[in-house]
Amino acid sequence: MIKKTDKLDMLKNAKAPEPSKARREQNLEAAMLAFDKEQQEKLKQKNKTFQGNIFTRRLMSIFNNKRRTFIMDMRIPLGGVAIIGLVLLPLALMYNSTTSLTGLNSPLGQTDQENKDMQLSEGFNKEKPAKLEERTRGENDGAIALDSVAPVAESEVSEMAVSSPAIQMESKLAQRPEPLGMVAPAPTTMDGQAGDKFSSEDESSLFITAQNPVSTFSIDVDTASYSYVRSQLENGIMPNPDAVRIEEMVNYFSYDYQAPSSANAPFMQSVEVYPTPWNEATKLLHIGIKGFTPELSERPKSNLVLLIDSSGSMNAPDKLPLLKRSFSLLLNQLDENDTISIVAYAGSAGVVLEPTKASEKRKILKALERLSAGGSTAGGQGIELAYELAEEAKSDSSNNRVILATDGDFNVGISTPDALKNFIEKKRDDDISLSVLGFGSGNYNDELMQALAQNGNGNAFYIDSFLEAKKVLSEEILGTLMTIAKDVKVQVEFNPLTVAEYRLVGYETRALKREDFNNDKVDAGDIGAGHTVTAIYEITPVGSSAISVDALRYQNEKPVEVSGNKQEYAFLKLRYKLPNEDKSKLIEVPIRVDAAKDNIADISPEFRFGASVAAFAQKLRGSNYADNMSYDEIEALARGAKGEDRFGYRAEFISLVDIANSLSK
Amino acid sequence: MIKNPTLKSKDKTAQALNYKELGDKELVDAAVGGDRAAFAMLLERHYMLIYKIAYQWCANKSDAEDVTQEVCLKLAKVLKSFDGRAKFSSWLYRIVLNVVRDMQRSRGRQNKRHIALKDITQANSPASQEEATTYSQMWQAVRRLPQKQCDAVLLVYGQELNHFEVAQIMDVKESTVSWYVMEAKKSLKGLL
Repeated sequence: MIKKTDKLDMLKNAKAPEPSKARREQNLEAAMLAFDKEQQEKLKQKNKTFQGNIFTRRLMSIFNNKRRTFIMDMRIPLGGVAIIGLVLLPLALMYNSTTSLTGLNSPLGQTDQENKDMQLSEGFNKEKPAKLEERTRGENDGAIALDSVAPVAESEVSEMAVSSPAIQMESKLAQRPEPLGMVAPAPTTMDGQAGDKFSSEDESSLFITAQNPVSTFSIDVDTASYSYVRSQLENGIMPNPDAVRIEEMVNYFSYDYQAPSSANAPFMQSVEVYPTPWNEATKLLHIGIKGFTPELSERPKSNLVLLIDSSGSMNAPDKLPLLKRSFSLLLNQLDENDTISIVAYAGSAGVVLEPTKASEKRKILKALERLSAGGSTAGGQGIELAYELAEEAKSDSSNNRVILATDGDFNVGISTPDALKNFIEKKRDDDISLSVLGFGSGNYNDELMQALAQNGNGNAFYIDSFLEAKKVLSEEILGTLMTIAKDVKVQVEFNPLTVAEYRLVGYETRALKREDFNNDKVDAGDIGAGHTVTAIYEITPVGSSAISVDALRYQNEKPVEVSGNKQEYAFLKLRYKLPNEDKSKLIEVPIRVDAAKDNIADISPEFRFGASVAAFAQKLRGSNYADNMSYDEIEALARGAKGEDRFGYRAEFISLVDIANSLSK
Repeated sequence: MIKNPTLKSKDKTAQALNYKELGDKELVDAAVGGDRAAFAMLLERHYMLIYKIAYQWCANKSDAEDVTQEVCLKLAKVLKSFDGRAKFSSWLYRIVLNVVRDMQRSRGRQNKRHIALKDITQANSPASQEEATTYSQMWQAVRRLPQKQCDAVLLVYGQELNHFEVAQIMDVKESTVSWYVMEAKKSLKGLL
């Protein structure tokens, strides 16, 4: 583990000078007295008589003799330690429920403090069970020595305070108030999310059908949010609510919706209406879209350019090394018709691999292996270079894509985010799309990644583990690489006679204007081969007790001319373009009242599972609408809808609900 | 546990020998049960370790001795919370490090660092002037690392513990320790 040349080794040569013998004796004597005093206290507790006078006095006299300022300083805080502990425990609890939930986009300047807050709450979570265990144990031991247990328990409490995590944490908090002239490094990968940036979006609000009958949004097949949330939860941290995007959590899973039969009708929609699991008085309108899955052989040739961040911050096990292994997975899915090029920016900048046939595996793997993280994120022409290579290897029928892999330290040559977006948008029109793979945490810039991927006709993934890499780059590679329908927009018109209010669950960042729906110039999300997309509305039927907006007093706001009927809840319209076409196609489906199910148990587990993920995501986000469903109920719903779960993703979800449940307690 | 820890043996040496053979955990159990001699034996056994740890973090003798004293006093109180899941020495590291923190907190640390560095470079008088410079620069840099990285580096390199033990002491995952060390190395790059 330790290299021979390691200069840090010289640290061990620090030989301590011999401690003074006199001090040693004094110290040992003082300790023995403290020990005696401790025993005395125990006895005192036991007999409830005061016998410890003499010991106390002797101990005090020693302190008076030495009068080491340090000890005198310390005796006072130690005396108050029980109180500090008592104050800090609830504080830690508060931190746990507030700090970790409200740590918004933190500028890097704050990270140090925030990181400590995280440690405080995290440490508390982790230590709590152990301490409790210790305490029970201590009581057992005490019972051997003493008759009565109750007083022991009391002394146990004060001792717990001495060694309690809270007090340790407190001292850690106080430890480093100033960064000491050195640049504060990004917070830890393992226990911090302080440097990660997320945009804060308000929850989609409730609309009154009579006033706003039409809801329009672009679909979103990204899954980055779920992987990020998972990695946070698995580290015992409640994710930042802004990191939770409900639609991405729901869409992480693939659902066995009814599939289309040919590439000419690239996807198929399924709709169910059923009672809301978190609100008895409302219903969920659940729209599932399943993309066509072509045979692997029908896949168009791929022209991929890997744009790899090799800046110093990528030098962590879950970044560059994971990235290399991930790409070797991808390589296994490609063949001689595909080309791969590699561009690195920062550290080892420039073209690492000219366009190469994917069948030349060894050459590609060697190039990947050569990459090493290091150096600051010095600009370079990274992204332009990548697009140049993509242009070079482009052919008519090929699927051209730049795959950007980074931890979010985003310095690819074009400095302003807007300029970067424009650049990517322009290239998108030249048929080169962009996918973004996010790695690691600490300075993960989610917002920018999303913006880039959305503007580049691409998708954003967050790779937190080899398993996730396998899902994105191997199992679902077709969906990642092959777009079967682009600019997919959804518009739902609700019927005011049957639906009083509605709200779209998630898709906050994907809202479109009503008029954008028919405007083919407006960009929207794409569906890859085999992708499933889910959108859920929560609707409040007319006459329901859950109607939350009161009627106006001075105006009769009943729609004057309602041409609709009472047979339909809503009218669903989908627009999409085939990959090589510029004109959109339209699908229209009425959603009938009589098709609604009265019991959630009557619908297929695929829908039920989606509903449970939506419930969980909303709970993590602190939704105003779905907060009253308990984690236990969510878990039960998910458990009952696990289905076949071939790769175990749903089982993993259930365990995440469980973790969140215990973290929230 | 041991059979008769409080046995009033007439033969003192035999008893002392007896204690020497006991493991840390057994001594702790006996001491928690009220056995004075067991506690004394524990202190005896670990005094140098406590002092050495304290010295590595304080980097000066008088502070190290203060810390050692405080740890000895504290042990009398908190011994009970040692549950034998980790090695006694690992547990001890945690106690010592906490006391060091407390002490550093209770004082102004700005000038202390200065003194500390002077102290440590003198005490170790390396061979050449050049080496001495690197050496003191290294210490200076290590001490400026964020606290956890500094702890990790000192535990791994200064105390020559393996990552598993360090993870136990710092109460983090092993991978986190490696990460701290790696981060530290990155920061110290100019010197390594």
